[in-house]
Amino acid sequence: MIRFVLADLRRLWAASLVIVLLVALATALGVAVTLQERALRLGSARAADKFDLIVGAPGSETQLVLSSVFLQPAALPLMPGEVLTKLIADPRVAWAAPIGFGDNFQGYPIVGTTTALISGTTTGFSQGQMFAREGEAMVGSGVDLPIGAEVKPMHGAAGEGGETHAESIYHVVGKLQPTGTAWDRAVLVPIQAVWHIHGLGEDHDHEEAGHDEHEAADHEDEAGEEHHHGHIDADAPLDEDFDHEVPGLPAVLVKPKTIADAYALRQAYRTGEGTRAVFPAEVLTGLYATLGDARAVLMYVAYGAQTLVAAALMLIAVIHVAQRRKQIGALRAFGAPRLAVFGIVWLELLLLVAIGVGAGFGLGYGAAEFLAGLFTAQSGVHMPVEFTKSDAALAATFLAVAALMAALPAALAYRQSPVEALRG
Amino acid sequence: MLPLALSDVAISFPGLAQPVLSIDHLEVPAGGRLAVTGASGSGKSTFVNLVSGLERPDTGAIRWDGTDITTLSESRRDLWRAQNVGLVMQDFHLFPGLAAIDNVLLPARLARAATAEVKSRAHELLSRVGLARPEQSVETMSRGEMQRVAVARALLRRPGVLIADEPTASLDAEAGAEVGQLLLELANQEGATLIVVSHDERLTERLDRRIRLADGHIVADTAMRASS
Repeated sequence: MIRFVLADLRRLWAASLVIVLLVALATALGVAVTLQERALRLGSARAADKFDLIVGAPGSETQLVLSSVFLQPAALPLMPGEVLTKLIADPRVAWAAPIGFGDNFQGYPIVGTTTALISGTTTGFSQGQMFAREGEAMVGSGVDLPIGAEVKPMHGAAGEGGETHAESIYHVVGKLQPTGTAWDRAVLVPIQAVWHIHGLGEDHDHEEAGHDEHEAADHEDEAGEEHHHGHIDADAPLDEDFDHEVPGLPAVLVKPKTIADAYALRQAYRTGEGTRAVFPAEVLTGLYATLGDARAVLMYVAYGAQTLVAAALMLIAVIHVAQRRKQIGALRAFGAPRLAVFGIVWLELLLLVAIGVGAGFGLGYGAAEFLAGLFTAQSGVHMPVEFTKSDAALAATFLAVAALMAALPAALAYRQSPVEALRG
Repeated sequence: MLPLALSDVAISFPGLAQPVLSIDHLEVPAGGRLAVTGASGSGKSTFVNLVSGLERPDTGAIRWDGTDITTLSESRRDLWRAQNVGLVMQDFHLFPGLAAIDNVLLPARLARAATAEVKSRAHELLSRVGLARPEQSVETMSRGEMQRVAVARALLRRPGVLIADEPTASLDAEAGAEVGQLLLELANQEGATLIVVSHDERLTERLDRRIRLADGHIVADTAMRASS
């Protein structure tokens, strides 16, 4: 029977190919949506994994997370520097570190922070070592700069009329191992350097000065107040003592000692004056709900496409059986059992759908992998495209539906009278 | 080798007042060779369908060696036909894309009856009908060759009866004569009862007996000279 089915499919290869392609594309659509959404969830959750608690100024919680975890450029309000001082001194805190952004280099965000954060969120260096002086920088695994490279920070994005901070240059001294997070694309520098470049810190005259991505655009209006540029003192030793006169900060990453501490800290800084504390995981969960809605819409589209393809297949199958009634009648006349006739039609259809579903899963995986690659290249967040057991269940469901649907034309063939078929 | 006995057989089609076939009594002895002739619409094809068990009459009994096939269910008749009847039809009904040998074996394979013995018999039959290349695809064959493949297929499972429905009508004279000769020879060698429905005088005159149908009735029944 298999031999007959295969010979038949070989003979009708063009039509078979079209059917396989139809099924494959309809399957791939759903598979790609599912895989992509899962990758986005997993990838973002893993990227936020090391970010237990983030404290920032009151404002959008989502923006605070997107800016600090995913390094998305945005205008964040600043909170007073004492918050960091208080957090570091808090017995419930294992470590706390400032996150200062606003500058970039060749499209890579430059993030001012401390050795505590780098040690706490990464797995170590693939090359070089930790920065030890103000003019030294470390790069994430996704930054295409060698050790020793010069980094000239640019304020604001180049495309938006940003300007370089003349005469301030960092030297790359270390490269971090991949973490699969947006920080893989970041240039990490001592926070004190960021403050010095923007004229903050020692001369602390502008607590309000923004590390604001869009500041360049506001340049004309507020130049007098905001732009008080300083330079980094490249050879100055690292100063990570934040117990006095800390400039304003957009965000502080906090590593609580225990889960209970995490909740207590969030409570304290959520209601505290001039601060807001968020669990990135919680904010992401809210985003996932939105993502899930989008996925649901796309899945309905995919289901619609699959239903259309299924209907088209049924039409083709029924017409095909009608066209071949003579052949089927002859098979019966020559002594093929009715069940064999049923089996041939059923198997032929099911085989085509199975090949299509298989190809569709491959195609969907490829598409999701491709999109994830694009996303990773852009954001640095690693997107794990992977199948789970539920996908096997989905494939099994497709095949079960196909098996049921193929039974209809097969039953038509089964019920067909050989005499009438041969007469016609 | 099966004897055939029809009694009080009648079949009507919806919308037709007259029965398309009505045979009160007909017997063919085991190994007998019967020719059935008649104009188109006389009931010849219906006769083939009835005696091969493809169709069931409204009334009457069709006994092959004591088995009344009118009492069998459709599936049982399929099974009985597969085991006892070899069919050769005007249009060959070979399956494109399959080699000659696979066409011969197809019904047996579908019925899960293709044993090693059956397979070697298939090769043997192909050479007996004069086809030297069992792996040749049937689309590349002449019509005469195709009908020979069909004859080999009909004989594969050693049927007790060989029924041919206009086996030479779609062949040229020469090929038709060869196929007719093969049918007679092989039915004789295999010891199968032979029923041939045909317009072809040169074929029908070589059988033992000829009946002529008109309007569903037997209007002539002639014993021919024994030729074998």
